[in-house]
Amino acid sequence: MRNVNRLIISLFVAFMCLPILITLVYSFATEWGKSIFPSGYTFKWYLQLYKDPQFIAAILRSLLLTVVTLGAVLVILVPSIALVAIYLPKYDRFFKPTVLLPYAIPGVVLATGLMRTYTNGFVPLFAVLSGGLFIYSLPFMYQSVRSSLQEIDGARLMEAAEVLGASKVYAFIRILLPNIKIGIMVGSLLTFSAFFGEFQLTNMILGGDFETIRIYMLRVMKVNGHLSSSVVMTYLILLIMVSALIVKVTNINRKRIIVPHDEAALNSNVKRSPANELLNH
Amino acid sequence: MQQHWKRQAQACLLPLAAVLLLFLTVPLVIMIRQSFGDQSGAGFSFANFMQILSQPFYYDAFRNSFFISIYSALAGLVLALFVAAALARMNEKAQERIILFINMTANFAGVPLAFAYIILLGNAGFVTLVLQHMGISLQSFFNLYSWQGLALTYVYFQVPLGVLFLYPAFKGMDQRWAEAASLLGASRFSFWARIGIPHILPSVLGTFIILFANGMGTYETAYALVGGTVSLVTTRIASSVSGDIFAQPQIGSAMAVLFSILMIAVLIANQYLLRLFRRDLK
Repeated sequence: MRNVNRLIISLFVAFMCLPILITLVYSFATEWGKSIFPSGYTFKWYLQLYKDPQFIAAILRSLLLTVVTLGAVLVILVPSIALVAIYLPKYDRFFKPTVLLPYAIPGVVLATGLMRTYTNGFVPLFAVLSGGLFIYSLPFMYQSVRSSLQEIDGARLMEAAEVLGASKVYAFIRILLPNIKIGIMVGSLLTFSAFFGEFQLTNMILGGDFETIRIYMLRVMKVNGHLSSSVVMTYLILLIMVSALIVKVTNINRKRIIVPHDEAALNSNVKRSPANELLNH
Repeated sequence: MQQHWKRQAQACLLPLAAVLLLFLTVPLVIMIRQSFGDQSGAGFSFANFMQILSQPFYYDAFRNSFFISIYSALAGLVLALFVAAALARMNEKAQERIILFINMTANFAGVPLAFAYIILLGNAGFVTLVLQHMGISLQSFFNLYSWQGLALTYVYFQVPLGVLFLYPAFKGMDQRWAEAASLLGASRFSFWARIGIPHILPSVLGTFIILFANGMGTYETAYALVGGTVSLVTTRIASSVSGDIFAQPQIGSAMAVLFSILMIAVLIANQYLLRLFRRDLK
């Protein structure tokens, strides 16, 4: 039985790795397609890529979009989630369904609505796109911040701070927010990787006018596959570093909880991840 | 005083309410309004919906998306069941590592995934060439740039997603249940029939619905792999809204409305079924 389990897991890992490995090999191949194996290996695609100003520009555009939207999420959404969780629990029913939001209102539908509303209007399309992404960050942020608040028992913490003489605003900014810092960080990192790799809304709303990394990837794919593979690998390494950061932050979190409750850790791990996958399809 | 504070707290929610209104509610309302209108958005009729339901050009998109999603969700679910069951029996450390691995591969979807499958199974792909050397023509029974290729590509992200959703159910199955059952004389078969399967069934059902919904909503992978050659709901809506020559935004809006209604209906049915199953369990 042990061996069967191990075999199944190994096959699964192989299945998941195969496309990534083949892309990796392709990005180093001089030419591949006439014979079974590449005719030679080279670094030239990577060198060509890093010299391409359009590639740098695409990364910068993705970063700009991500940072601006994430900034808005941190300033507007995160305090609201905490506020509702602690003082206005009756509004919580508006937040809960957001976990299913990406399924109920797929990106194409929201993008259609946004385009019909704003294409002829006065709002810059960049702001429209950023607003659309903001909407889809709701599930990640809600889950991360909520589970963090539950761990520290936010309501009681605020009460304690007030009993000790802190004003509400002071307690909120100086005591509550620092205590859910880790939840906010995990949520931000998840949101970061989702925004950075966003394609659907960007392609529909701005398309070629705002070439982000994914759109650049697709354009290059049609011209030179090897170059495109090296874009994919570069992008993947960047996001793996972000994922590693998420893990590191989550682990700090786990060490800090005195009473280990496995179920909460498991749930938060499991629940966040499917949402993470959504935006990237 | 309490009332006063509450009102202040509500006021703090205004920026969020404004963003939701501007980028969620208003666009959806305008889209719904236009789905009943003519080319300029004026008037009120069901003509757009009638057109979608009567012309194969439009309803084929729904049919294709539906079948590709059903197939890929079924295949993904079956594979995920094996993986999740095996995963729950590994040691803690290995489990954590695999979950982490799944999270990392989540970034490999859409354009990169489509491209990797082209390198593997495309016209000059690795597998295609290997099979050619063995005298087998892959193209004679499989075409990557068709619904077959799409369904296969979807399976790549359906399996890990299914594992993430199914894993807690298997994890929640206590080893002692099997021991208790066998002490009381149950065979392995009757353990699974009466305890194991009823325990995981709600999760399996829920996971299937999520995978189906996930397949229906997929845009990037399909766009990158087949462009417009296979008509799907997502790509058809996108091209009718932002297409250059054949743009028919009112039809696109109507399709988007139908699509969203379909998805919400599926999710509601899922909630209802889950409640039914849970009551049976109690």
